[in-house]
Amino acid sequence: MASATANAPPSLSLPPSQFARLQPHAYLLAHLSPPPASNQPSIRANGRAPSQFRVTSANAGSLTHTNGSAVVRIGDTAAVCGVRAEILHTDDIASWSVSESSTAASTAKHQHLADLSDHPTKENKDVDQDSDAADDEDRAHVQGLNLLVPNLSLSTGCAPGFTPGAPPSALAQSLSHQILSLLHSTRLVRADDLRIWYQPPNLGPEDIEPHNEDEQMDVDADQSGSAENRQPREIKAFWVLYIDVMIISLAGNPFDAAWASVLAALRDTKLPKAWWDVDNEMVLCSDDLTQAYGLSLRGLPVASSFCVFEADAAAGWRAVVIPDAGEQKKGSQSRWILADPDGYEEGLGQERACVVVDKDNDGKGKTVIVKMEKHGGWTVDSADLRQLVDISAKRWDDMKRILDQC
Amino acid sequence: MRPVGKAKWPKKVDFAPLTGAGFASITMSKEHPLSNPERDFILDALRQNVRLDGREVDQFRPLNIAFGDEYGHVKLQLGKTNIVVRISAEVTKPHEDRPFDGLFNINLELSAMGSPAFENGRSSDLEANSTHILDSVIRHSNALDTESLCIIQGVSCWSIRADVHVLDYDGNLTDAACIAIMTALQHFRRPDAVVKEGQVIVYGVEDRVPVALNITHKPLSVTFQTFNDGTHIILDASRREELASEGELVIGINNAGDMCFLSKFSGAPVDALAIVNKTTVALERVKEINALVDKALKADLAQRSKQGMADESRAENDR
Amino acid sequence: MVGPTASISNLNRADGSASFKCPTTGYDVLGAVNAPIELPTRRDALKPEEATVEVFVKPGTTTAGVGERYIEGILRSVLGKVVLGREKGFPRRGVVITLAIVGGGNVERGDSYLTILPALLHTSLLALLSASVPLSMTFAATTLGVTISNEIIRDVSPRGAKAAASLHALAFSSKGHLLLNESQGRFDFEIWEAVREQALFICQGAAVPSADGDVAMDEEADRTHLDGFIRETVEDQIHSEYNWKVDSV
Repeated sequence: MASATANAPPSLSLPPSQFARLQPHAYLLAHLSPPPASNQPSIRANGRAPSQFRVTSANAGSLTHTNGSAVVRIGDTAAVCGVRAEILHTDDIASWSVSESSTAASTAKHQHLADLSDHPTKENKDVDQDSDAADDEDRAHVQGLNLLVPNLSLSTGCAPGFTPGAPPSALAQSLSHQILSLLHSTRLVRADDLRIWYQPPNLGPEDIEPHNEDEQMDVDADQSGSAENRQPREIKAFWVLYIDVMIISLAGNPFDAAWASVLAALRDTKLPKAWWDVDNEMVLCSDDLTQAYGLSLRGLPVASSFCVFEADAAAGWRAVVIPDAGEQKKGSQSRWILADPDGYEEGLGQERACVVVDKDNDGKGKTVIVKMEKHGGWTVDSADLRQLVDISAKRWDDMKRILDQC
Repeated sequence: MRPVGKAKWPKKVDFAPLTGAGFASITMSKEHPLSNPERDFILDALRQNVRLDGREVDQFRPLNIAFGDEYGHVKLQLGKTNIVVRISAEVTKPHEDRPFDGLFNINLELSAMGSPAFENGRSSDLEANSTHILDSVIRHSNALDTESLCIIQGVSCWSIRADVHVLDYDGNLTDAACIAIMTALQHFRRPDAVVKEGQVIVYGVEDRVPVALNITHKPLSVTFQTFNDGTHIILDASRREELASEGELVIGINNAGDMCFLSKFSGAPVDALAIVNKTTVALERVKEINALVDKALKADLAQRSKQGMADESRAENDR
Repeated sequence: MVGPTASISNLNRADGSASFKCPTTGYDVLGAVNAPIELPTRRDALKPEEATVEVFVKPGTTTAGVGERYIEGILRSVLGKVVLGREKGFPRRGVVITLAIVGGGNVERGDSYLTILPALLHTSLLALLSASVPLSMTFAATTLGVTISNEIIRDVSPRGAKAAASLHALAFSSKGHLLLNESQGRFDFEIWEAVREQALFICQGAAVPSADGDVAMDEEADRTHLDGFIRETVEDQIHSEYNWKVDSV
C-alpha cells in the first residue's frame, strides 16, 4: 500500500482503495514491482506471495438431509456441495435392455487398439485389453447411464451482477461441465459402489437367509470367490448421485472451491445398504446406519488455478505491430503467475491456467497430472507449466491435510 | 412471418404461443427493412407480373439436393437459401401415455450463421413460426409412422430427431426446411434392432443392412406471399420479396392432394377463391418437388451401392 | 494419412465463413463470422476499448448443453486474444462466431470435447480470415492421444479417445507461442513435454521462424504441417478471387 501511495503525485493524494478502483492495473503492478529504492518485497495487493493460496477451510457433513455434504471456503470464495443419492431402476433405463451387436463393437475396438500401437509386444497388448475391459464397463455405467449429475449454481448475491431468476450463466454451465468432465476423466467414483444387486437365493438347504445377506454386502473380491456355485447375481438398480454445488460467495477462482467441495462431499457420502426385494419387487434400503457404506474414491485429485498478470497488457499487441519491440527489456519482471487469484486479480488478466494433480499411494507416490489447461494468452509455456505442477503438488499436500481433518 | 412491410394492416393477428415457457423473452429478429423505393419497385414490378429474379409467379427457385456421407444428411439449396438437415436415431423410453409410439422431433434453431439478423441463443418469431408449420405438416400429419418406431411396448422405442441447420437465409425458410426434412427422412437408415428374450440387440451398420424409416405419405409445405391488397400472390418469395409482403399463405399438401395444413397469417385479406386456386398450384408443385426428391434419392442410392460394391471388391483384392 | 480439407467464404449471408473437414476424426465443421456487428442486448457486457468476441457452438444432432458452453468459453478466450479488437471500428462492437458441427459424431454429455477442439479452432480462424477481421497472428491446433503404452497418436477419433490414457489438445500461434493447452487423463510432465514437441511439429513442421518473423516456406513441408495448410487454403481462395485479374494480365 505504501508503495502505491508513494507512486501517486502528492497533489493527487488518493486513499489506496480509490487508487485500486481507478487504476487497478497500475495498483497491482506497483505492488508486484515496487521501486528498487523502496526495499519493499514484491507482493500481491492482497498481501499474498505470487504462489501463495488463500486460507482454506473445509467442513464436511454440514447439511443433514443429504447423503453427503461439505462447505469449502477459500478466502472469500465459498462453495457448498450436497450429494443426494436416488435409486434408478434398470427397468427405467431405456438403454439397459439394449446391447450393441457385440461382435462389431468389440472387434472394432480391438482393431483400433492395434492401430494405435504399432508394434506392441504380445503380453503387453493383453494387459492393455484386460484393464481396458474393466475400464469400459466402469465408464459404460457411470458415464453412459449418467449416474453422476453435478450441477453448479452461482447463487444470487454471491457477487455483484448475479440477478435473481436469471437462467444459469455461461460461467455456471461451464463450471458444471468441468466438474462432470473431471469426475469422468479421473473416474473418481467407482461404478461398483453405485450398483444395487439382486442375488437369487441358492436353493441348497444349507443356505440360510441372514448369511446370504451378509455375503451380499461384501465387496466384489469376496463375492467372486464364492460366486462359482451360486446363481449369477443381477444388477437391479443404480444409485444416481446428484451433486449440487452452490457458490454462495464468489471472490475469484470458483473452480478450485467448487471442486474441493465436491471432493469433500463425496468423501463424506454414505449410501444406505440397499437390496432388491423379490416379494415386493422393489429396492429396499436399510435404515441401519452401521450398514451404510462410504464411497471408495479413486485417488484425491486436487485442483489449483492460476492467473497471469502482465506488466504491460498491450505488450503482445506491440510485439505484433512492431516486431522489434517483441524483445522485452531484460531485468525487470514483466509478468507474474498468481496462484488462486481473487476476483480483483481475475479482472486484470485474460490468461488462465489450471492444474489438477493427484499423488499415488496416499501421497507417498509420484505426482500424476490428471488435468492441465491453459488458455487466454501466450506467455505461459512448458517451463512455467512445470513450475505450476510443482506448486500444485505442494498444494495437494495442504489440501489433503485440510480434507482429512474435516 | 416477417410483417415488416404491412403498415397498412396494423392489427397483427398473433398465432398462439407455441412454446409455453420462454415465449415472453422472444425478440423479433428483424432483417434490415427495405427502403421505400426498393419496396415500391418490388410492388410496381409485381403489378406487371414481374419478379425481381424474373421468375413466374408460381415458380420455385432452382432446387438443389445433395447428400452427405452419413444416412439422413441432406444439403439443400433453394435459390440462395441453404440448409443442412441431419437425422439421428437413438433408443429411448416411450412416453408413459403412448407406450406403442416412438418419438420424433424436429429441431430448428436459427443462428447468426443464417443471417446477421438472427441472434445466437435466442428464439425469434420466424423460428417459432417455422417450427410450428413443420410440426403441423410433417409430425402431426404422421408422415413418419411413429408406431413403427416401437421396439418393446412401454420399454424402448426409437427416438428420431431432425436437426435443421440454416446456413444461409434468403427467404422461404419453411418450404426449404420441409423439403429437406422429408428428403432426409426418406434417406435415413436406422440400425436394425431385434428383440431376443427381452433384450434388444442393436446391430451396427456393418453387421446388418440398416432399416429405412416407414414414411406414410410425403406432405410438403408451399408458402405464398400476398402483395398489393391481396391481388398478387407469389410462390417461394425471396428474402426481399418477403420483406415487402403483406401476408403469408401456407398450404401443406401431399401427392394425393390431401391437405394437412392451411394457414393464412397476418391481417391482409385475400380472396377466398384465390386461395382455393392456389391449392391447385400447391398440389402441382408438391408433385414436381417430390418427383425431384425421388430422383435425387435414387441417384444417391445407386451411387452408394456402386461405392459399396467397389469397396467390397477392393477388400477382396486385398485378401 | 489423409489430411484435412477446408474451404473459405462458402456462405452468402455471413461476413465471413469457412468449412473444415477432418477425415480421421470424421468431423465436418462450418463456421460463420459476423464482424463488426452491434450487440444491443449485451450492452452491459461490452468493453469500452475492445471488441467483444462471442462464440456459439451448435452441435450436429443434439441440443447445446453445458459442454458447449464450456468449449465456447475456451474458444472465446483463445480467439479473443488473437483478434485485434482494438483496431479502428471494433471497440464496443461484437465479433460473433457461429460454429455448426454438420458432420461427424456427437460429443456426449460429460464426454471430452478435446477431439473436436482443433476442428473448431481451425474453422473459426479461417472464418475470421474470410471476414477480414484483423488478427495478431494465425495459429494451428491438434489433439494428441497417449495410449497406455505411452505412444502418441495423432488426430484421435472420439472412439480412440476413450481408449487413450490421456488426451491433449494444443494450439500454437504462427510465432510458436503455446496458445492453448487442454490435457486430461493420467500423465506426468515428461509425457506432456513429448506431446508438446510432437504437437509443435505437427502444427509448424520443422520450419523455424527466422529473425524477421517470416517462416521459410518449403513447398514439400507445406502440405505436411497445419500452419502451411491454413496458409495454402487462404492462398487458394485469394487465387480464385483474383482469377479475373490474373487472367486479364
